[in-house]
Parts: sequence; C-alpha cells; structure tokens
Amino acid sequence: MRELIVKVVGNEEIAPGIYEIEFRLPEDINFRCGQFVNLSVGDGGHLLRRPFAILFYDRATHTAGVCYQVKGAGTKLLSEKKDGDELTCVIPLGNGFVLREEEKRVALIGGGVGVFPLLSVLGQYHDSDKHFRCYMGFRNASYVNTFGQFDHRSDALFVATDDGSFGRKGTAVSEFFADFEQAKPDVIFACGPIPMLRALKSGLAERNIHTPCYVSLEERMGCGIGACLVCVCHKANGQANVRVCKDGPVFEIGEVEI
Amino acid sequence: MANLHTQICGVSFSNPVIAASGTFGFGREFNEVYDISVLGGISTKGLTLEARLGNPTPRIAEGHGVILNAVGLQNPGVEKFIADDLPFLRSKGIVVIANVAGKTLEDYAEICRRLDGLVDMIELNISCPNVKCGGMAFGIYPESVEQVTSVAKGAMARTPLIVKLSPNVASIAENAQAAERGGADCISLINTITGMVIDVEKRKPILANVTGGVSGAGIKPIAVRMTYEACKAVKIPVIGMGGITCAEDALEFIIAGAHAVQVGTANFTDTLAMPKIIAGLNDWLDAHGVADIAMLRGTLKIG
Repeated sequence: MRELIVKVVGNEEIAPGIYEIEFRLPEDINFRCGQFVNLSVGDGGHLLRRPFAILFYDRATHTAGVCYQVKGAGTKLLSEKKDGDELTCVIPLGNGFVLREEEKRVALIGGGVGVFPLLSVLGQYHDSDKHFRCYMGFRNASYVNTFGQFDHRSDALFVATDDGSFGRKGTAVSEFFADFEQAKPDVIFACGPIPMLRALKSGLAERNIHTPCYVSLEERMGCGIGACLVCVCHKANGQANVRVCKDGPVFEIGEVEI
Repeated sequence: MANLHTQICGVSFSNPVIAASGTFGFGREFNEVYDISVLGGISTKGLTLEARLGNPTPRIAEGHGVILNAVGLQNPGVEKFIADDLPFLRSKGIVVIANVAGKTLEDYAEICRRLDGLVDMIELNISCPNVKCGGMAFGIYPESVEQVTSVAKGAMARTPLIVKLSPNVASIAENAQAAERGGADCISLINTITGMVIDVEKRKPILANVTGGVSGAGIKPIAVRMTYEACKAVKIPVIGMGGITCAEDALEFIIAGAHAVQVGTANFTDTLAMPKIIAGLNDWLDAHGVADIAMLRGTLKIG
C-alpha cells in the first residue's frame, strides 16, 4: 500500500446518484480484484477518506476506477471533481478475492452498489479458464448499471429488481438460488447490503449447500490500513474482532457475524 | 539541520513528534507505509489487563474539520502486547509509551506494575470518554486525578509516568496540578472532547455508542489553550496534542510551553502526516535560524 496523489481523468454519473470516477496514479501498484482505495474527497474540512472498492486497474496507464453513491457532503464533493483535479489516497488496501486453481465455475452475487467490487473479479480473470455466472439485484430499472460490462464477460447474467421494472422481480440471491442446480458453482463471491448477505447465508444453510462462499463487507473506516480498529466486525464465535480494512474486506461467509 | 532532539523525564526522543494513542495501533500497519523509526515515539493503543472487544459499530463519524470516534478501548490485553507487539516497537528504536486504562484503581496499579521497566514511559488514560468505567470517571475531578496518579506512580519503580488529561473538565489547571501532586512525571493533553453527530433522516446518532470523542484539526485552538493553561500551572513537562496537521501546528504547542507533541487524526487524512511534520519542523527552524527546537519552548509573547 502506498500514499499517493492521483489525478482525476473522468467522473460521470452512471445511475441516479451513482458516479464512476477514474484517476491516474503516479506509479504502478500491485492490484488484486476486490481490493479498495481510501480516497480523499479533496477538501480540508472532511478529514476522513472514503473507502471504495476498485473497479479496475489498468497497468498500462496506471489508471484505476471506483464507483460511489452520493450519500452525504463528502461524496457530494467528490462528485464535483473535474478532470485534472488532484486527490490523495492510500492504495491498494485489503485482501481482495482469490480464486484457487481448481475453482473454475464462479458465481458472482451483487446487490446495489455491491456489484462494483465483483466487476474487478471479471476484469482480473477475463482471459482465464474461469466461467462466471452473475446475479445482480437493484432497486429498480433506473439503478441498473454496469450491466453491459457484466454481460459480455460472463456465461450467464441474471438481473432482478425489487419492483420488477428490469429483469425479474426479486433479488440477486433469489436469482442465484433459482439457477443453482444449473450453475453448480465451485465458489461464490458476494457483495451487497447486509440483508442480502444474511439471506444468502441463511439460504445456503437451509439448502445444506457447502460451496465455499466469500463476501466483501462494508464498514465506516478511519485509517483504512488496520491501525485504528474502527471498522471491525465480530468473528462468528463472537469472541474476537476482525478488521474489515486489513483482515478483509473479503471474508468466508461463516467466519464473521453478518 | 536544526536540533530536534528532545529530552523528557530522562527519556531521549530523536524529535518531539509522537504518534497519539488509538490512531496508530502498535505501529505495524503504518510501518508498511513508511519506516516508523523516523518518529520521536509512539503512544500505543490503550491497553487494559484483559483483552477487550470494544464498542459496537459504527465507531466513527465526521463533522466539519473534525472526526468522532468511539472505539471503546478494543485491545489484545497487556500480556499479548508484551509478547507480540513490544519486541517490534523496540526494534524500531523509538520511544515506546504504553497507554494504559483500567476500571479500578487496582487495575491501574497492576498494569503499571506489569509494564514497569519494559517500556520507556507509561501514559495513564484517565480520560477515555467512550467506555463506562474506562477511566473517564478518574479524569474529571482533581481529587480522583491525584488519587489514580498516586496509585499508578506507587506501582512503578523505573518507568516515568505521564498522566493524560481530559478536556471535559471544569479546570485544566487544577487537574494538571492534581496530577503533579499525585506524582506524575509528565502531563499530556488533550484527550478527545465528548461530542455527538445525528443522522437527520434517521433521527439517530451516527455512532452506535451515541457519543464519541471529537478530534482533528477543528479542535486545535481548544487544545492549544488548554496546553497553555497546563504549562502555566505545573513545573513538570507537558506533551501537547489536538488537531495537529503540520509543523506550524506543532510549533503552536511548543511555543505554548509543550516539550513534545502527539499527532493522531492527521494520520487518517494523510498516512505520511508525521514524517512530513518532522521534516517541516526542521525546515521551519532552518528557515528561521533557530538551531534547537528547545529554544522555542514556552516563548509565547503576551502583552
């Protein structure tokens, strides 16, 4: 991980209140899919950086991208950044997603802004022998984003919306279980709101499915590098904490309390 | 190159910039970003006798120019610190200050006894605002400040004792004097100011703990004022902190009378904040023809 000053090279609204910002790094980094950046919002009044999953990292141009939802004053400021503006960050952070050699059939389950970390998995394993089936859930048709990027890199893509205005009415998790027998994944990667992850965890348990399942968690962070113990969650036994920023953000679904 | 070397209670610091407790863990993570041996010292994450899990999340919130935290003294316990983390810190050759907290006077005595002679200094946390019985109760009134200081001091034969004062009190000067009477070798201040942020849409506090400790650039004027008051009130050395983000900020505390400073929240905004402050102090002193940082200490001109 490095402390770097990066230059904005793009910042566009891709869905209502959801932006994709791209920035150029001054040097190369070793990036693994599922890792994140702790990015300043470029204003002295906001002391905390914002942790965002990295969508992609292009080694040739040292360019990375993240998607973020405008939720408060900090992300609002970020949405106003223009090409050429400078931001500071620590990058790359966290453990990321890892696919073992024998894991060929991969299920990616994403809900809302949780689809973004999964996009980096498709990017990293684009030219591999891995086969992806993707399940995405959104609030409604207007929030459906990055659809094309998922579509052209996966064997099958299932999109559900809460109100049925795009794809089927349902959730990413319901789509996943409906397709499970067909998919027979070797491994599951998921990211999304806590209710979604809980539904996934209980759904796997009810069906007695023991496929390895890894989830990427989100938590309000301080330092982003593992020192301040702000972004913790309980281990499944409740007797210890793990740091989302340093030990995660990707955890085996049974390892942590969700 | 100006002389940044600083001596406090017989402990030698290569420079007066110390990582503040709670923002820097036990140094390992920041050492992945830069070699922390450039620091003057580190005050560890608050230690207790037994391991603690701390508060529920969210543990952090933000205001303009400030942050609030309510971590609640999550730590691995003093024995694990001694076994797993102290050797690493020792290997960095910087001053190691163990920040300690307890629920009872006996807790304070026992943890000080355990660490006596193992670390360079002990910083008594009697002002953590985020845990019930986390020491805050001891830090409010002069009588209890004196009592807990005296008990901690009595438990140690070798290690100098710093008492970290709370700003959430009636009189900083009185509490500083109480610590001095209790036998403190040094005072540090300020701990965080108790605060609160509310999510208007949800009508709920952002922090799971409801309230938290306010820190960061926005509290610096309060911290400078309190450091100034403490320096006037006692003869023992004072370590100032609160909102320091650059060399000039650090110099405000030194000019107010502090021997050294601690840097906390700035580490979140810029992981290289402390090396930059140290380099900035050197540059400032050179530019102003000051050969030794000690020449600035307590040089505030009033009237």
